[in-house]
Amino acid sequence: MRRRTIVLAGIFVMALGILSPSVQAQPKEVLIGGIWPLTGPNAPTGVECTQGATLAMEIINGKYDLNLPLAKTEGLPNLGGAKLKLVFGDHQNVPDKAMAEAERLITQEKVMALIGCYISGVTAPASQAAERRKVVFLDADAIAPTLIKRGFKYFFRVTQDDEIWFRDFMWTRFIPEVLKKKGGSIKNVAVLHENTLWGTDASKYGTEYAKKNGFNIVTQIAYPARSTSLTAEVQKLKMVEKQTDMLLSACYTADGILLMKSFHEMDYNPPMIWNDGGYREPAFLEALGKKSEFILQRDEFSVDMGERKLLVKQVNDLFRKRFGVDMNTNSSRNFMGVICLADAINRAGSTDSEAIRKALLATQIPPEQCICSWDGIQFDPNNGQNIKAVSLMLQVHENKWRLVWPFDVAVKDLAYPIPKWSARP
Amino acid sequence: MMKMIGFFGMGIFLLLFPFIFTLPFPQHIMIMIFVYATLAQAWNILGGYTGQCSLGHAVFFGCGAYTSSLLLIQFGLNPWLGMLAGAILAVGLSLLVAIPCFRLAGHYFAIATIAIGEICQIGMVNWKGGGGANGLYLPILEEGFLNLEFHNTKVPYYYIALGIAAITFAAVFFLERSFLGYYFRAIKGDLDASRAVGIHVARYKTVALGISAFFTSIAGTFYSQYVLFIDPESVLPLMLSVLISLVAILGGVATVWGPFLGAAVLIPLSEFTRTYLGGRGTAVDLMIYGFLIILIARFQPTGLMGLLKKR
Amino acid sequence: MLTTDIILQTFISGLLMGCIYALVAVGLCLIWGLMEIVNFAHGQFMMLAMFLSFWMYTLFGVDPLLSLPLGGLCLFIIGVATYYLIIKGILYTTFFAQIFATFGLGVFLHSAAQFLWTANYRSVQNPLLAGRVAVGNIFIGFPQVGAAIMCILGFLFLYWLINKTEIGLALQAASEDREAASLMGINSNRIFALGWGIGSACVGIAGVLLTNFFYIFPEVGFTFALIAYVAVALGGFGSIVGSFLAGVIIGLVEAFAGLFIDPAFKYFSIYVLYIVVVFFRPQGLWGRY
Repeated sequence: MRRRTIVLAGIFVMALGILSPSVQAQPKEVLIGGIWPLTGPNAPTGVECTQGATLAMEIINGKYDLNLPLAKTEGLPNLGGAKLKLVFGDHQNVPDKAMAEAERLITQEKVMALIGCYISGVTAPASQAAERRKVVFLDADAIAPTLIKRGFKYFFRVTQDDEIWFRDFMWTRFIPEVLKKKGGSIKNVAVLHENTLWGTDASKYGTEYAKKNGFNIVTQIAYPARSTSLTAEVQKLKMVEKQTDMLLSACYTADGILLMKSFHEMDYNPPMIWNDGGYREPAFLEALGKKSEFILQRDEFSVDMGERKLLVKQVNDLFRKRFGVDMNTNSSRNFMGVICLADAINRAGSTDSEAIRKALLATQIPPEQCICSWDGIQFDPNNGQNIKAVSLMLQVHENKWRLVWPFDVAVKDLAYPIPKWSARP
Repeated sequence: MMKMIGFFGMGIFLLLFPFIFTLPFPQHIMIMIFVYATLAQAWNILGGYTGQCSLGHAVFFGCGAYTSSLLLIQFGLNPWLGMLAGAILAVGLSLLVAIPCFRLAGHYFAIATIAIGEICQIGMVNWKGGGGANGLYLPILEEGFLNLEFHNTKVPYYYIALGIAAITFAAVFFLERSFLGYYFRAIKGDLDASRAVGIHVARYKTVALGISAFFTSIAGTFYSQYVLFIDPESVLPLMLSVLISLVAILGGVATVWGPFLGAAVLIPLSEFTRTYLGGRGTAVDLMIYGFLIILIARFQPTGLMGLLKKR
Repeated sequence: MLTTDIILQTFISGLLMGCIYALVAVGLCLIWGLMEIVNFAHGQFMMLAMFLSFWMYTLFGVDPLLSLPLGGLCLFIIGVATYYLIIKGILYTTFFAQIFATFGLGVFLHSAAQFLWTANYRSVQNPLLAGRVAVGNIFIGFPQVGAAIMCILGFLFLYWLINKTEIGLALQAASEDREAASLMGINSNRIFALGWGIGSACVGIAGVLLTNFFYIFPEVGFTFALIAYVAVALGGFGSIVGSFLAGVIIGLVEAFAGLFIDPAFKYFSIYVLYIVVVFFRPQGLWGRY
C-alpha cells in the first residue's frame, strides 16, 4: 500500500515537472520571453536586465509623456491596445537549459519574441532554438562577434559588436582623439583578460586590431575568472610596467575588485587603465572606493547623458523610483531592446513571426528616442546587427562613473595620464 | 507477474510518449532524463557495483562530445563514427586515469578524480585548437538519422536517447549477472578478501572504469549533436560529475533501475523548481533542491530503489 | 624582467595566501580525520562567516578583526548544529549518502544566502587592516599579513589543543577507535560534535580574515573549498600538520606557476602536482594510512 502511494507520488512529481504550468495566452496580450542568468554568479546582472525590460513594459502599457515609441499610448495601438507581458526564464549559465527555456517559452508560454541572454555562450544555443522555430530573438547584451556570423534570419542585436568596436573605433578614433587632446604617446599595450568566452574574444580582437594599427602588445595575460588571488597576474604586468603605455583589460566586477586592490597593493601604475565593460555592478564602486578612480570603461549608457538629453533623465528617474538604483548599461540596453521589439510588433500589426521579422528589418528608431548612446536603431539586413550602435567611454571620478568621451558630449574631463597611487590622496 | 506487466506498461508508455505529449519541452525533459540515466548507469558500473566513487566522470562525457564534434568540424566525419571514435578514446583516457587513481581508495580516490576533471577542463579552456573558452559550434547539417541532427522536431532525438539508455541498461543488466559483476561486487565488498581469492583488483577496477567511460562518452556525443554547441563549462565541469553521481546515488547504487529512477525524479524536479519557482533571482528553487537532497541522504540512503524494495 | 625582487615578492604573496588555504584545510581535516566524513559544505561555512563579518561591519560598524571571535563562535555553533541535525543520522550509512548529505547542505546554504542577501558582490570597504608596507621593492599588504599571522596562530592553538589537552586526546582517541573510546567513557556524539564545531570555527576564522581584502557573495566558498580538499588529500587525511603545510605549499605553487608558467594554469599546476605526489605517495605527504 505504502509502496504504491510512493510510486504514484513519484509519477506525479515527474508529471508535474514535465508538464510545467503554461499560461493561457489571452487574446489581449503580447508576450515576450526574456532569458537571463537569474541564479549563480551572474545573477546580479541578470536581475538588472529584467529590471530594464520590466520598466520598458510598464511604460509601453501605461501612458507616459516621453519621447519613446509607444510611451504615450496604452499598450500596442495597432493590436487593439493589447498589453505587453514579459515572461522570464533562468538559464543558469547552462547551454542546454537556455535552449530548453527558449523552446519552453516559445511552445508553451507562446511568446512572440525572445530577448536575452547576457552570456554569449548561452545566447548562442538559445537563439539557435529560436531560429529553428522561426521566432525572433533580440540580443541586447551579448557582444561576441560569432553571434552575427551564423547567417541567422531571426537574430537581431541592438548592442555594439565587440569586433566592430575594436576595428572601427578603439584604435582609430578613441585613442588618437585622446592623444590629440591630452598629449602623450601610446605605443605599447598590456592586455589582461579573464579566460571565458567574452574575455578571450575581447583580447583577441583588441590585440588583432591594435597590431593592425601599429600598436605593440607587450604582454597578453589570461587568468581563470574568480581566482582566489591575482598577485601573480599583477606581478607579470609589473614586469613590463616600464614599457606599458596602457592596460587593456576584459574583466568582470568580482575580479576587478581584487585586481584594483592588488594594483594598489603592489604599486602598479599604468598611465591608462581601460576595461571592455565588465565593471558595471554598483558593487564595484562600493567595494573599491578611492581605488577605482580613473578607470576607463566602454559602456553604452551613462546617467550623465541626462544632462544633454532629457529623455535619459526622465527614464532614469522612473527607474530609480521603481527599483531604487540608477540605470546602467545592462538595464538600459534591455530597456531599449523591449522598446524596439514592441515597436516592431506594433508596426507589424500582428503577432505573426514573419511579420515581426520584416518589421524589425524596417526599424528606424532615431537617436532622440534612444536612451543608450546609439545613433539610433537600424539593423543590417545581412546579419541583424544594429549598425547605428556606438559606445561611450566612462571614467570613474570621485567614485562615480562619469561620461568622458566622445568629447562633444562629455561632462567631465578625461584624465590621462592617470596619477600614480603615491600621488593620489 | 506484476513486475512484468509493470515493465511492459512502462515500455509501451515510453515508446508512445512523444505522440501523447507533443510539445517540445516535455520531450526535452525526457531526453535529458535518458541522457542522465545513461550517465548515471555508466557511473554505477564503477561507483555502485565496484564501489569507487568517481567525481570526475564529466571527463569522459566531454571526451565524447569534443572528439566527435572536432572530427565533424575538421574532417566532416559522420557523427556516428565520431561517437565510436570518442568512445574508444574515452576508454584509452580511462586507462591513463586508472594509473594514478587506482592506487587510491575512498576519499583519496574521489579527490583525485576531481583533480583530473579540473585538469581536463582547464586544459580544454586553454586549448585554442579545440575551441578554447569559445567552445565549438557544430555545423548545421541536413537533418536525418545519418547525420544525427534534426531541426524541426525532437522526436528522433527522443528515440535515439531512449535507445542509448536502453543499451546501457541492457549492458549493466548482463554485467551484473556475469563473472565481471561478481568480481566488481567482491571488490566493493571486501578488497583484501577479493585479493585473497585471486581477483586481480587493479585490473578489474580498470575494466569497470573502461566500460563506464565507454557509455559516458556515447552520451557525450549525443549531447553535442542535440544542443549543437559545446564548451568546457557545459561538458566538463565538476558540477556535472557531481550531478551524475547524485542521480545514481539518489536512485540507488548497484541496482539496474536505480539510475533511471534517480534521473526520472531529479531531472523533472530541478526543471520544475526552476520554471515554477525560479525566474526571479531568488534561488528558492535551488534551496528546495538542496533541502531535498539532504532529506533523501538522511532518511533514505539506499535511494529510491531502497524505498521501493521495502514492503 | 625576472629579478630576485619579483621572485621574492611572488614567494611572499604565495606564502601569505597559502596560510589562509592552510587554515581552511585544517578545519576540513579535523572533521575528516575524526569521523571520515568530508564536509562538502565547508566552502559554504566559510561564506557564512564572511557574510557575518560583512553584516557586523555594515550594520554595526564592527571591524572584521573584532568580529573574529564572533565568527569563530557562530561557526562553532553551526558546526555543532550540523552534526546533531544531519551528520549524526548518517554516520553509519553508506559512503555515498554521507557525501551527498553535506553536498545538499552546501547547495541549500549558498541558495539561502542568495535568497536572503542577493547575489550582489559585497565588500568591507575600510577595514582596520588596510594598506601596505614596502620593504625595499617588495610590497606586503597588511590584510594579507594579518590574515596569515592569525591563521598561523589559529593553527598553533589547534595543535596545542589536539595534542596537549584532554579534549584533544579524546578527539584523537575517538578518531582512532570509536568503540574503544566510548568504552573509555568518551561520549562519541559529544566528541564528534566538538570536532565539527572546532573544524567549522577554523574555516569561520579564515573567512572573517578574508573579508579584509576579498569580496563576498554566495558562491565565494567554492574555489577555496576545492583547494582545501586538495590540500587535505595532499597533506594526508588525519594529519592537521600535513594539511596546514600542504595549504601553504599550494599557495606557493599557485603563485610560482602563475609567474613561471602562465596565470591561466595556476590551478592546473596545483592539480597536476597533487596527482604526481599522490601517485608516488598515495597517503599524501604526511598521511598515515
